[in-house]
Amino acid sequence: MIDDFRDGTGTFCHLVQGMTGAGIVVAAEVGIDGRAEPVAASPSAIDLSFDLRNSRILDHGWHGVPMAAKGFRIPSLFVATLGGPASHVLYLNAPVEHAPNSGLLLLWAEEDADVTALPERQLPSLSGTLAALLDCRYRALRQHALQAQFSDLVESVPAGIVVIDGDGQSALVNGRAAEIFGLASGPNTPSALAEPMRAVRRQCVNADELDAAYRSLVANVDYAATIIWDFGDRQFEVDTHPIRGEGERGRIWLFNDVTAELRRAADLSALAATDPLTGVPNRRSFEERAQAIIARRAESGQSVAVAMIDVDHFKAINDTYGHPAGDVVLKEIARRCREALRADDLFARLGGEEFVALLPSDDREELRAVTKRLCTIIADTPVVAGGVVIDVRASLGVAIGVDGYTTLETLIASADEALYSAKQTGRNRVVFAGEA
Amino acid sequence: MPVRCFDDLSGRQSGDGRINVVLSHGFGTDQDAWSALRPWLDAHFRVTSFDLPGCGQNGAQSYDFRRHSSMYGYADDLLTVLEELGIEDCIYIGHSMSCMIGAAAACTRPDWFREIVMIGGSPRYLNDGDYHGGFERADLDGLFDSMAANFQAWVAGFAPMVVGVEDNAAIEEFSRTLFAMRPDIALATSRTIFESDMRALLPKLKTPTHIVQTAQDMAVPVAVGEWLHDAIPRSTLEIIDATGHLPHMTAVPQIQAMLERRLGAFAA
Repeated sequence: MIDDFRDGTGTFCHLVQGMTGAGIVVAAEVGIDGRAEPVAASPSAIDLSFDLRNSRILDHGWHGVPMAAKGFRIPSLFVATLGGPASHVLYLNAPVEHAPNSGLLLLWAEEDADVTALPERQLPSLSGTLAALLDCRYRALRQHALQAQFSDLVESVPAGIVVIDGDGQSALVNGRAAEIFGLASGPNTPSALAEPMRAVRRQCVNADELDAAYRSLVANVDYAATIIWDFGDRQFEVDTHPIRGEGERGRIWLFNDVTAELRRAADLSALAATDPLTGVPNRRSFEERAQAIIARRAESGQSVAVAMIDVDHFKAINDTYGHPAGDVVLKEIARRCREALRADDLFARLGGEEFVALLPSDDREELRAVTKRLCTIIADTPVVAGGVVIDVRASLGVAIGVDGYTTLETLIASADEALYSAKQTGRNRVVFAGEA
Repeated sequence: MPVRCFDDLSGRQSGDGRINVVLSHGFGTDQDAWSALRPWLDAHFRVTSFDLPGCGQNGAQSYDFRRHSSMYGYADDLLTVLEELGIEDCIYIGHSMSCMIGAAAACTRPDWFREIVMIGGSPRYLNDGDYHGGFERADLDGLFDSMAANFQAWVAGFAPMVVGVEDNAAIEEFSRTLFAMRPDIALATSRTIFESDMRALLPKLKTPTHIVQTAQDMAVPVAVGEWLHDAIPRSTLEIIDATGHLPHMTAVPQIQAMLERRLGAFAA
């Protein structure tokens, strides 16, 4: 592209030379300080910079009429090419923003064509053409430099980046994104990107969800979304949005590996949901999850049961053997209950020596068997703590979610009453609400 | 008021002669290189000298890395000085790199140059096919590398080699002026010199030119003098019976005798 402008300017110089019979035609970018950088020249490529500062060429008001060179200080650079001193000089100003003194320098040697026969009126019109050429070349150079900066930037961030141009003809993939999709980094065509991106997306655990989410992308060029692509072992937060809010300009995809972040967040929320002593869910987590289970089962017309489990004479255990021994007892009871319960039973510690189980069943006989097993497994074997053997028992109160006891609050309240009843009637037993 | 190029280059004028002589020194020296010849010149000419850009006490200010990346930038400065001083007719005596500077200036404004004397000039230092410049690419790369690595050590080795004779005063003077250059400017200047190729220019030089060199000069083989003589239309060649690249400092009697012979006709 940049070479095209240089070549074009070279051709321009060549044509002007043919038209004017000048010995040399140089198109140069000339700054405010008079320093000149040749862009192209005819006949030869003049690639050394020169200086028009003291030349008086820039001070003269040019109107397309060549002047005797004696009145100017012609840079010596041209003398070898010209074959001798210049006899006439003409400068066609082609001011461009970045180099306001730019222009076309024409030099004639003695033996060159007669300058009186020049198409004077046509010459000044060349200025605009040259200015346009210089300006385009400068923009192309800037663009090139910007692109270099841009790709440097794009490579220096940890995210995978895919940029798809608005014209749908070109796309840019940085090194990180290239790794994710198994592509070559750098410029790509959007059509070459589409299939690998889709294939990788299909490997996601949540591929169906992603398919559904991106379906609107087809219909809406301005679509923007941030969605997690879950590869099971890794998770990427994928942000896609139209460039500067307009889909016509193109689309950016950003792929941020959030595996570590999500894992940390999951760890934190697990920590917040767990009873630190026993490792089973705490009250807050139990309530959250119980509500969800109740609601889900209610949808299909099923209900649940709640069993409150309270260690008998726990205060006496603490007082007799000390708190560390009491802690060992609680841990052991939690472990035994968890073991005796089924996978879809929810078990938690509510606080102190009180535990709770949410059992997804309303079958009274089945529940009777389960809770009896709990009671037995707690009491069957003494707990050994700090070298002493401690006999433990627990009482259970059970409420089944029938007859209007459908909310967690009512179930717990009802199970609590049954538990109270179990305590009153001798402990180490199971009492069902309404059966006391 | 803009600073004159002549002042910027610490220019000096002396002598009461009618005809102008312009002295331009070579790489690594300054205008003091002409001190030994100056009394005779002053007696017969109006003598103008200056320090080349990058050289002498104002070297760091007068040098422009872009402008002086070619001999033509120096030639333009020379023409500016002549214009500032109103010198429209001169005898130009150049040493080393100033030979080609003078040639470029004289081709550009032939009317300002009556006569050129080139001492130890070369249009091209690199060998190139049949052309024997005296240096191979590897020689130059080694030269630039050692200049860049340790300028002081380089000067200590380079100065005696260029002087070419056991003239301690001359070696000392050359070392002094070399040391006075800023090392980056010295390196850039030597690159400009050693990478230059001014051969295409010389057939266009119409000014009568006397080419002078010593029989043994590490920078310029005798073959270069012969090449110049062939290329420059109105030239004469004189190989003087001396050694080294700085005969105007180390072989003053021979050089003065040469000038007397050559310029005697113009002397007032």
